[in-house]
Amino acid sequence: MRTILTSILLASSAWAQRLEFNRDVRPILSDKCFACHGPDAKTKGIPLRLDIEADAKADRRGRFAIRPGQPDDSEIIRRVRASQPARRMPPAATGHTVTDAEVATLRRWIAEGAEWQAHWAYIAPKVQTPPATSSRWPRNGIDHFVLARLARERLTPSVEASPETLLRRVTFDLTGLPPTPPEIDTFLRDKSPQAYEHAVDRLLASPRYGERMAARWLEAARYADTNGYQFDGERQMWRWRDWVIEAFNRNQRYNDFALEQLAGDLLPKPSLNQLIATGFNRNHRGNTEDGIVPEEYAVEYVVDRVETTSTVFLGMTLGCARCHNHKYDPLTQKEFYQFFAYFNNVPENGRAMKYGNSPPYIPAPTAAQQAELAQREKAIAAERDFLRRHESAISAAQRGAEARWFPSTGLEYHWKPGQPAETKEAGGFDIGGHFTLAAHIKTPNPPTGALISRMVNTPQGKGYGLYLKDGRVHVHLTSNYVNDAIRVDTERKLEPGREYEIAVTYDGRVAAAGVQVYVDGQLEPVKVSQDTLYRPFVNAGAQFKEPLRIGAGGGPANKFGGEILTARIYNRVLPPEQVAALAGVKRPEFARAAFLESAAAPENVRQSWLKLQRLIDEKERFERTFPTVMIMAESPQPRPAHVLLRGAYDKPGEPVSPRLPAVLPPMPAGVPNNRLGLARWITSPENPLFARVTMNRFWQMYFGTGLVKTVEDFGTQGEWPSHPELLDWLALEFVRSGWDVKAMQKLIVTSAAYRQSSKVTPELQERDPDNRLLARGPRFRLASEMIRDAALHASGLLHESLGGPSVKPYQPAGLWKEISMQDMDYVESSGRDLYRRGLYTFWKRTIAPPMMVNFDAANHESCTVRESRTNTPLQALNLMNDVTFLEAGRVLGQRMLKEGGQTTGQRLSYGFRLATGRQPSPVEARVLAGSLAYHLDYFSSDPAKAKPYLHQGLSKPDPALPATDLAAYAAVGNLLLNLDETVTKE
Amino acid sequence: MHPILEGQQLATRRSFFGKAGMGAMALQSLLGANNFPNFAPKAKRVIYLFQHGGPSQLDLFDYKPNLAKLSGTELPDSVRQGQRLTGMTAFQTGFPVAPTVFKFSPQGKSGTYLSELLPHTGKIADDIAVIRSVHTEAINHDPAVTFCQTGFQLAGRPSIGAWISYGLGSENQDLPAFVVMVSQGKGGSQALADRSWGSGFLLTKYAGVKFRSGTDPVLYLSNPAGYEPAARRRFLDDLAALNEHKLREYQDPEIATRIAQYEMAFKMQTSVPELTDFSKEPDSTFDLYGPDARTPGSYAANCILARRLAERGVRFIQLFHRGWDQHGTLPRDLRLQCQQTDQASAALIQDLKNRGLLDETLVVWSGEFGRTVYSQGTLTPTNYGRDHHPRCFSLWMAGGGIRGGITHGETDDFSYNIASDPVEVHDIHATMLHCLGVDHTKLTYRFQGRHYRLTDVHGRVIRPILS
Repeated sequence: MRTILTSILLASSAWAQRLEFNRDVRPILSDKCFACHGPDAKTKGIPLRLDIEADAKADRRGRFAIRPGQPDDSEIIRRVRASQPARRMPPAATGHTVTDAEVATLRRWIAEGAEWQAHWAYIAPKVQTPPATSSRWPRNGIDHFVLARLARERLTPSVEASPETLLRRVTFDLTGLPPTPPEIDTFLRDKSPQAYEHAVDRLLASPRYGERMAARWLEAARYADTNGYQFDGERQMWRWRDWVIEAFNRNQRYNDFALEQLAGDLLPKPSLNQLIATGFNRNHRGNTEDGIVPEEYAVEYVVDRVETTSTVFLGMTLGCARCHNHKYDPLTQKEFYQFFAYFNNVPENGRAMKYGNSPPYIPAPTAAQQAELAQREKAIAAERDFLRRHESAISAAQRGAEARWFPSTGLEYHWKPGQPAETKEAGGFDIGGHFTLAAHIKTPNPPTGALISRMVNTPQGKGYGLYLKDGRVHVHLTSNYVNDAIRVDTERKLEPGREYEIAVTYDGRVAAAGVQVYVDGQLEPVKVSQDTLYRPFVNAGAQFKEPLRIGAGGGPANKFGGEILTARIYNRVLPPEQVAALAGVKRPEFARAAFLESAAAPENVRQSWLKLQRLIDEKERFERTFPTVMIMAESPQPRPAHVLLRGAYDKPGEPVSPRLPAVLPPMPAGVPNNRLGLARWITSPENPLFARVTMNRFWQMYFGTGLVKTVEDFGTQGEWPSHPELLDWLALEFVRSGWDVKAMQKLIVTSAAYRQSSKVTPELQERDPDNRLLARGPRFRLASEMIRDAALHASGLLHESLGGPSVKPYQPAGLWKEISMQDMDYVESSGRDLYRRGLYTFWKRTIAPPMMVNFDAANHESCTVRESRTNTPLQALNLMNDVTFLEAGRVLGQRMLKEGGQTTGQRLSYGFRLATGRQPSPVEARVLAGSLAYHLDYFSSDPAKAKPYLHQGLSKPDPALPATDLAAYAAVGNLLLNLDETVTKE
Repeated sequence: MHPILEGQQLATRRSFFGKAGMGAMALQSLLGANNFPNFAPKAKRVIYLFQHGGPSQLDLFDYKPNLAKLSGTELPDSVRQGQRLTGMTAFQTGFPVAPTVFKFSPQGKSGTYLSELLPHTGKIADDIAVIRSVHTEAINHDPAVTFCQTGFQLAGRPSIGAWISYGLGSENQDLPAFVVMVSQGKGGSQALADRSWGSGFLLTKYAGVKFRSGTDPVLYLSNPAGYEPAARRRFLDDLAALNEHKLREYQDPEIATRIAQYEMAFKMQTSVPELTDFSKEPDSTFDLYGPDARTPGSYAANCILARRLAERGVRFIQLFHRGWDQHGTLPRDLRLQCQQTDQASAALIQDLKNRGLLDETLVVWSGEFGRTVYSQGTLTPTNYGRDHHPRCFSLWMAGGGIRGGITHGETDDFSYNIASDPVEVHDIHATMLHCLGVDHTKLTYRFQGRHYRLTDVHGRVIRPILS
């Protein structure tokens, strides 16, 4: 929002120079006129457009909306000043009025010749030479621009911040944590001119840097650990989150960083990491509610991708053109849907999975898991090698035996006639399970009935079953017969009165594609009649009262009338050749297997064979523990895209194909017109927005406000940059550096502008409350996660460990249960996971972590790029009474007592320094000493108070310390964590 | 100290949650807003009794005596007109008409027909305006609640309470302008989300503050065990001394605001427990609100708390009562649900009236959609279920600005489509704002280049129900 204050600020410099259309005039026309006389004028039947120069200046039978040089002859001036309500513009119904100052600007601009400019953000950044100066203040290019602006405003920069303040500022900014006392000491001792630069290099090399950068990116990318909407079940996207951290830490080029997230899946032979990167555009919410119309939400997901992509990479509010042509920017509704078409081909369903990830997704082993997998594969290779080396001995012993072989690994139940046809000991599989059901049967006439099942014993019961149905082999997995099930049937019909070996495998992918049906060892083509499974059977699984049934299931009428000769239930997916073995196919390798498993085989060889089988089985099980991540993929058949009338999923209009908005430069030659081509175009240096929007967001991280304050909107309603030349210069530096992200952070934090003291005078505060002119350094409250991280860090509780599943730190009891579906409750993590950095905190979309919410974290429901900060009493209560800060206060107090030194003063100074990064002044030391004395007195006058006060959190107070002393130090510790300075980047 | 800083500190010491409570950031957002109210308000505050899950209009408010003879017959296609159904009944083979098993009778002087499930509401029939012709766009809980709360089906926009606290601020500087309470119902409970009372793109200070039963009515309100108010006072004095030292050196007004917010937090530690402490309420209060009234966290107890908040000038008070989602065994479950809520809802109106507060308090009773006339699942003479129905539902409003004793709008014979005076959710919002003296087209906030409104480009004030 462009505020009055900013307008004054911008205007103050504007009047000194010639008016500029983009800076001074367009904002007025856009906000007050474009809604009717803008890109969408035609639909409203309005003949005049003020966003197009030719139209605005056209001769309309001797009348001109804008007549250069002739303000009094310009209709626009007459109309905004008209006294008759009917003639006055904008009409009263719009609620807008043009102020006197704005009229004066319009007049003057027309008088000066009404020179038009294309919207600045849609044209390439201009090469800028940093303005020359005789001042010795500038340290790099940034400062030349800042200084020139300050000079115009007759302001001067502030002095450099003190070394302690500066080190704390840059340590927070680059790592999200405060410096430690030894780091401060080292910095203060280093008197070389490069001391600061060395510190910056050290911080940029720290793995914490990636975590810091990722925290903001996760908000932009609406990352969360649940699906959102109503049910809000858990999903698993943390592998994508860890990829982001790692990408920042290895300083991946920013264009690649963006490109891989947008279209890594379409790169030639994409690596696992490139696939994981595409999780970016699967982070949107997913609706799992029973009653939804899936098509409606399939559209919402694509719209979300369009809005997120255009906001994050282009600073465009493309979403405004969903229902109608954009009111302010030159974007038509059709162009919205042409852009939409790039993201519309994901093979996905509008109804998301209730639990876990929704297709498409992939197993995404961590680095450690990949290493372990390699180890396991090595062990398997070693056994194979052993058997190969003994080949001649085995061959000699085997003597051409041709015995039948049946796979035995993973066999849960082997039924033969005479054995119980019901058991609870086998077949407890849920929808994510891997299994094989096999039966050797003789078909009845007609060939129909249940072969193997574990389900509620009714025709549409919950669970799974393998049946014959009118001759066809029928497989179902059912949570709700109506809308939550998979059903497939073979195309082929079996004949009555014949023997068959039937087998079905299911690989846990919760889709019909995960079901394979074999008859006599041959894979059968199937027809899928239902492919919408979302919820686990849960109570139809292992805990279920229903047993596994042989020859029955689905009600009495479904009892098998034929003959079952044998049945096998495996807890793994048998590969096709092993299914063939079941069917009695004779192959040399089966004979070999049968021999090796028999007592006739040499003992060492037999042991090796059995070990090999076990290793393979264990490896498969291990692979199933891999985390998964949702990724982007393209359907082979592009889904048709249409203009949706008024944005509604069920009102398709004109069909559209992928295409870029005309206002932007065209696709480079030779790139495909698909998502990959789009990604190449977005990340190309010719794109006027990508580098600017990114540098602007970086700038916001350091100074609290972007050079363009509307970081999400570079369109005509966006704010004119406070330093347009600087923004262009930064954008071109970014490109020139080869999209070097770390280099850009370094550029900003080593500027003199950044290194200024953040002290302010009342005059400057009044003149420039937001510090847009940069006559001082940045000073603002830390982001939510940094406040908690810093408290944990100061106390020493912080457990640093990069990546992994999200964790659940302390949270007031009952918050989930009160408003979520009844079975969901928050289960706190234990041990060190209580003290991880905030970006690893489990983010439930409908009930976000309360401390984060209190301190203005983004909502993670949709893309958020603008940082905002409030200052409320709830924050005060949070820091005073949340167990997180009470425990951290106590451990900080303990640390003061044990590490701080011999005297009270030393201990208090130590604690103060851990919290603020500097020594207390004498006044501050006195206040702290008084506070400690008070609390010592308070707790020793009634020691019974100390015990409960110390009992905060799961860590235990040090029993060696006197409880009253510790309690008093704990109170002071908590006081230190509440200081304005502690929660502020200064 | 510089006069500006002093002035600011003073201002922030007096006012915290409301529109005058401002740091540098907040100040800017306020300059963007218009001045409200736009005209003389009828109501100073709102109590919004949100019945979450979709209460059945057919069994509570929308009297359709002629349906009885159509029991079990197929809902005519001419009525359904191919309208979309939820995925729960779209595959159902038949749509048998399920008339209500409950009796309706005229209530009060006005003769408003109400179900036997609402005997207490019957006693306030002359105070309430029942609207039977509300319709919504959404067919599922989450988007429908989000729509009712924010005027838009997808997450991201400010809730109505946030809009109002942004526009009107608070009358009570010691309490939040927007308070939310949640109670549990007897029926199938669907999930709620924090965003239902969130601030969307407005600053988070406008978000609803959830009051909970138990020792911490507001999160983190209570001091830790062993830490008494005297110690907290000393703690705050020391903290203020250190922060003021910093303020003198840096002159950043945010520090002054922070000092003031800690004072406010301290005041809340007294004012909120005093507010939630019912021990001084006479027995007659509990008798009025019914048997659950002494159970903290119950709907009835929350209604008493709503009245106490209204007395203290809290601007927007919203209760969410869960459990109105009767897909099956509706006759049994809806009765239980009404037993939990009917008496307390009526008592609240009566209580406000007795205290002279009803005229200046707008009370709204509503769910997020209605329920189908056809049975979900098997229809028997005594049992049926109903699926979600967005095409019509009923609600009532009472108090400041509302004409009591009337019904507005009609549905067709099947309570399926609206026959006259359709009312959109945006109209409800426009009317609520109107009662507060706010022109809904003027309450805007600029975000992403657009001037957003609670009512988007819609909303008409429902004139016939105004007093």
